[in-house]
Amino acid sequence: MLPITPYQIITPLISLLAIVYAWSLVAKQKKTIWEGGLWTLFWAAIAVIALFPDVLDWLTLFTGFKDRQNALVITFLGILSFIVFSLIIRLEELEQRHTKMVRSLALKDAELEKKKA
Amino acid sequence: MIWRAAWRTFFFHNMRIIAVIPALNESKRIRSVVEGTAKFVERVIVVDDGSSDDTASVAERAGALVVRHGENCGAGAATMTGIEAARALKAEVIVTLDADEQHDPHDIPALLQPVVSGTADIVFANRFGQRNRIPLIRRFFNAVGNLVTFATTGRWVNDSQCGFKALGPRAAAEVRIRMSGYEFCTELVRESVQKRWRVAEVPIKVLYSQYTLAKGQSFANGVKTALRILLRSFLR
Repeated sequence: MLPITPYQIITPLISLLAIVYAWSLVAKQKKTIWEGGLWTLFWAAIAVIALFPDVLDWLTLFTGFKDRQNALVITFLGILSFIVFSLIIRLEELEQRHTKMVRSLALKDAELEKKKA
Repeated sequence: MIWRAAWRTFFFHNMRIIAVIPALNESKRIRSVVEGTAKFVERVIVVDDGSSDDTASVAERAGALVVRHGENCGAGAATMTGIEAARALKAEVIVTLDADEQHDPHDIPALLQPVVSGTADIVFANRFGQRNRIPLIRRFFNAVGNLVTFATTGRWVNDSQCGFKALGPRAAAEVRIRMSGYEFCTELVRESVQKRWRVAEVPIKVLYSQYTLAKGQSFANGVKTALRILLRSFLR
């Protein structure tokens, strides 16, 4: 059996934390059970890949990344994608704030805001 | 007017029913939609989502209460503004429909029936539940929308992307749409799952014209919407 690397210890721990966090959001009713399930599948896959890298062998059939350099490029592409996704979410949050302002003004103009419960 | 009020009292047990119509540049169609809808509800709210034409004044003349967005924010944002306005007017039941004459207001009583009888908290209209002439490409887009909605919410709705809906007292009080664009239809399905609303689906007529077909979502928009829904469900 090959020695376990720090990466193989840290990644499953992070995955576990992410899964616990996701289910805590489910408990707080901020995520649905379905979303909790999707999140669990995603992070479980990350943990399994970290613990058993051999499972990625089948990927070589489709992607062709057989050496470390390719794997590194793919990993960084994944990280960059995550950053882009996070930026998109930030932009959406700004958009939501803008929408709230427009809505608030619209309701105020229609003299409906003061009637709110 | 009197017979309308009597009819509503008899069929809808005096519930305060308000229609919300988000509209963008619909000055040529909004009048007939408002007048047709007013026959079945107590009040019609039109949310003018930053139109560059006189949609707001036409809707006002047709008898609607108009709420104006200073800027275009999207169908989801306009719908939520309408819902907030309806809440301010103490609405018990809210009906949402499109401003482009695609939906027939005569379907409103059927849509309201499960809500009024207390068997559903939200009613989704189903354009595919009866024989409607719907172009193949439109059917394909809707099927993709249904699949994405199912993948992200776990609930199958036969016509998840239709803007014609009825929200019962519970849903009207609890609903919170955060997505600004067309993704709000999927978000409403998600809300129904998260808040455990009882769901019903009612077949409706759909009136497609060259105009409504041209105004519908493009393929690129559809892809963008699907991606935003998927992203949101993961990074929420």
